Amino acid sequence: MLEQVQSLLSQAKKQIEECQDLKVLNDIRVEYLGKQGKITNLLHSMKDIDKEERPKAGQLINSARQEIEGLIKDVQIKLNEKVLEEKMANEKVDISEPSKVIEKGEIHPLHKVFDKLIDACVSMGFTVLTGPEVEYDYYNFEALNVPKDHPARDMQDTFFITDNILMRSQTSSVQVRAMQSMKPPFKIVSPGRTYRADSDATHSPVFHQFEGLVVDKNVSMVDLKSMLTQLLKMLFGENTKIRFRPSYFPFTEPSVEVDATCPSCGGKGCRLCKNTGYMELLGAGMVNPKVLEMSGIDSNQYTGFAFGPGVDRLAMVVNKIPDLRMMFENDMKFLEQMK
Amino acid sequence: MKVTLKWLKDFIDIDLTPEELANKLTNSGNEVEEIIYQDRFLKHVVVGKILDIQKHPNADKLVVCKVDIGEIIQIVTAAKNIKVGDKVPVSLPGADLANGIHIEKSKLRGVESNGMFCSIEELGVTDYDGDANGIMILDDDAVIGEDIAKALLMDDVIFDINVTANRPDCMSVIGIAHEISALTGKPLKKQDLSYETCDCDEDVSNYINVVVKDEKLCPRYIACAVKDVKIEKSPRWLRARLVSVGIKPINNIVDITNYVLVEYGQPMHAFDYDYIDGKQIIVRSATDSEKILTLNHNTYDLDNSMLCICDKNKPIVIAGIIGGMNSCVEPTTKTTILESACFDRASIRRTSRKIGVRTDSTARFEKGVDCSLQPLGMKRALNLVYKLNAGKIIKGEIDTIKEIPKDKTFKFSLSKIFKLLGVTIPNNDVLNILNNLGIKSSIKEDDLECLVPYYRQDIECDADIAEELIRIYGYEVYDNIDAKPLSGTSVTIGKHDSVLYLARSLKQQLCSYGFYETVNFSICSVNDRDKLLIDETNHLYNMIKIANPISEDIGYLRTTMANSMFNTVAYNLSHKNDEFRLFEVGRVYLPKQLPLTELPDEINILSFCSVCKRDDFFVFKGVVENLLRDFDISYDLVYSSKCYLHKGISADIIDKKTGKCIGSFGKVHPKVAENFDISPNTYYGELNLDFLSSCQEKKHSVQPISKYPYVDRDLAIVCDEDVTVKQILDCVKKSCGKLYYSAKVFDIYRSSELNNKKSVAFSFRLESKDKTLTDDEINQVVHKILKDLEFKLKAVLR
Repeated sequence: MLEQVQSLLSQAKKQIEECQDLKVLNDIRVEYLGKQGKITNLLHSMKDIDKEERPKAGQLINSARQEIEGLIKDVQIKLNEKVLEEKMANEKVDISEPSKVIEKGEIHPLHKVFDKLIDACVSMGFTVLTGPEVEYDYYNFEALNVPKDHPARDMQDTFFITDNILMRSQTSSVQVRAMQSMKPPFKIVSPGRTYRADSDATHSPVFHQFEGLVVDKNVSMVDLKSMLTQLLKMLFGENTKIRFRPSYFPFTEPSVEVDATCPSCGGKGCRLCKNTGYMELLGAGMVNPKVLEMSGIDSNQYTGFAFGPGVDRLAMVVNKIPDLRMMFENDMKFLEQMK
Repeated sequence: MKVTLKWLKDFIDIDLTPEELANKLTNSGNEVEEIIYQDRFLKHVVVGKILDIQKHPNADKLVVCKVDIGEIIQIVTAAKNIKVGDKVPVSLPGADLANGIHIEKSKLRGVESNGMFCSIEELGVTDYDGDANGIMILDDDAVIGEDIAKALLMDDVIFDINVTANRPDCMSVIGIAHEISALTGKPLKKQDLSYETCDCDEDVSNYINVVVKDEKLCPRYIACAVKDVKIEKSPRWLRARLVSVGIKPINNIVDITNYVLVEYGQPMHAFDYDYIDGKQIIVRSATDSEKILTLNHNTYDLDNSMLCICDKNKPIVIAGIIGGMNSCVEPTTKTTILESACFDRASIRRTSRKIGVRTDSTARFEKGVDCSLQPLGMKRALNLVYKLNAGKIIKGEIDTIKEIPKDKTFKFSLSKIFKLLGVTIPNNDVLNILNNLGIKSSIKEDDLECLVPYYRQDIECDADIAEELIRIYGYEVYDNIDAKPLSGTSVTIGKHDSVLYLARSLKQQLCSYGFYETVNFSICSVNDRDKLLIDETNHLYNMIKIANPISEDIGYLRTTMANSMFNTVAYNLSHKNDEFRLFEVGRVYLPKQLPLTELPDEINILSFCSVCKRDDFFVFKGVVENLLRDFDISYDLVYSSKCYLHKGISADIIDKKTGKCIGSFGKVHPKVAENFDISPNTYYGELNLDFLSSCQEKKHSVQPISKYPYVDRDLAIVCDEDVTVKQILDCVKKSCGKLYYSAKVFDIYRSSELNNKKSVAFSFRLESKDKTLTDDEINQVVHKILKDLEFKLKAVLR
């Protein structure tokens, strides 16, 4: 009996170990443990054994049965895993195939710069204001110390609608509206569209400015410089330095042109900055006391500074855009480069 | 404006290089745009004398010359206008001439040639009386071997300076010399402006009488007379000076007036006395019927806004702009009247623009010539007349000014100046800078007392002096100041603009749906209106017109965003981009009436557009629904009234509360697609951002989720084509009553078998907060739904 069981057991073991297929494994299970299985048949043949030996033989057969069951289970788990692995291998996809989600679009480079400037200024305590683009001569010129027929009007060719209504040539018009509606101290910025009768490789008849104005009791040119340094560092990097050059705007006194170290070469001089190491980026200055007075602000008590970069130019410098016109043609081959 | 180094040196010693000087001027506010070396094309060109001319052995058209340039050299030339003894410009090997020719030693048909004779074109000479096509023949007194630049007085350095509008006093040699004085600390040289009047009893008042009708437009008019005038060419030095700053020499008297204009910034005029009717100069506005033929050979119709210099009968000069032919100085002129006047800058500017003439004189007057300058200008002019021996100067001058303008004394506050600048400048630097600028200054504690010259009309307040000080002291002082941003200002709370902020979030959403942002011009062609099928009855028809457009393509303000977008779509389609989605945030401009008497309404609009095979009306509907979801608004969709959209595949979004149209979207009208040459499968939408920014953000009040099972059922019905999904769902909702949770359509099926009807399949979900619904209750609802659909919409179960 013992021999018979052992022989069956080793036979089964061998078969199970060699088994590579779940179906075969099941056949093995039936062969040994099924109703007519070899082990089951051994149990049935117990009645032919001596009474005294029966318990021992039963024990023997049962443990063989358990062992076979255990072995089958182990192999079954292994084979199940193998089947799953094979299934997944068969389901493999080409991960370089295109995605099925719609590809995201992008914000225009001009507005990316606008948004950065706005966020930086709001965090510094500025209120964002907008104003009309079709504007009275008064807000665009007269209240900014540029009376009718003043030579400073020649600095910009203005689109006129009527004698006293025009397309604003500068966002400075919003300065005036702010000064007349807000009580100092205040800080405002005004992003927006501006218009000049000028069209060539470096001038667009429609362009964009970002006007800033601070009116307070102790504002100096040092504040102007530190504020602008902060803004330009944000756009062009921490190593950016700025410098002032004298200039003239009717609404500021003193007036300056602001240059920043060329973001391309860092100030060493390159083709982009015409080897000067600097790029002319914006005009700024201390608000002319006459302008404060005209808007009802006491210039003995208050001073202010103003600045007004052309945002188209900033966007061009930031993104190394070679031609101003690309900004307004909206060719997808341009827009997609903002990805 | 151009000035030259030599001319400046008449007024001040300069020991800087031209580049150093240019830098100093630029860094103090007078930007030098260009430094022009007059001799840049004249290097290696010298004066030569032709000693001998022989036939070329191998060429009929060439001759071989021996030329003395200090040594004897051989030159082969084809020139015809030369003869032995002529002095000519000889360019030697190494010369780079004005017309781009580079000179090297060469052999011409086998004969050695060591240089080239030059024409005026090759040298860049403009002032020459001889044959312009041939070789330039020099004056007899030219020195053999001398550099041609020196011989032709073309060895100056020219500075082209961009003078800012606030500094009309810098529009002259003396003005720039003043600036250099302040920058270098060197004093101005004294000028000898003396002259002698003629030895006779006559006085200018015997010759001419001056009447100024409007002293506001002509605050000052000085007239002097010169008799026995000898009109001739000016001396070479004077002509050379004028040429160097771009003025064409005419004759001695006219050249003198131009010389004074450049040197002192005082425009002058000279009349032929014999052509002044009535021996009277009247400064008055023209009458509407008057005309004048001017020196540029044009005739201008004058009007009463234009100031003119007139004689008894007629205008003889458009004041400050251009002289008339009827009284100009000519070779026959015997007696001349010189004018040194001051005119109102605004009036000159207006007239100059009206007639479209700008002269050197206008350029000064429209920036503002102050009324203290005229005597100096006249003095210098007479001094030159005397020096050039151009005529006999009559005693006396007529000066119409009643009160001589005086320099003004101001008291400024040093502490305020330094507070504004944020830096302190030592007192002695302050005094040096101002005194060298011609502003006599003294300091007593905080008081800075300044005697400001009359010509510095731009200086009135602390800020003005602050600018004078810092621009000369140097802005480099700020280079190394590193303060905390805005540390000197009060704390203020930052705030976004509601429309821009809203636009930003909508823009981000559109980006995530694959839309790209565009920036289009808000000015457009009036033709776009027709292309969009907008007719007179439409409020979008009234476009604001720009009075002075640079092109008709951008001569009007848009009243809708659609044309901008369609033009951009067309641009992309014609540039090999065939699938794309775009959007723009911008304004449209709706006038309250035309012509404008008040500002128009400027409405902020978000427009978006798609040219994509996978997009259709319902994709756009989904985009719109999602964009609007965050707002506390409820709206209806109705077929759009926008003329540029497809009548049957478009919707206006109507706010239920106000009845206002918040926006529209849909397929483009087929004709509009054709007009703009864009795909008929273009979808377009627009939303009014101003309206949306006035809406509240949606408030949420969360409902409990039922503990009892939700019941889902599907039904398919057959109904007429014109029964809408909205009608069906509304009906279902009503039929469900309190148990309604949601309902949606999941399939619409059309087939010929259905006899022009459609099958609509929908699912609905029932909810009860307090019990599990029984089959019986559910069946009752289903039954009611079907009954109601049949009764209201004639729809039957499929």
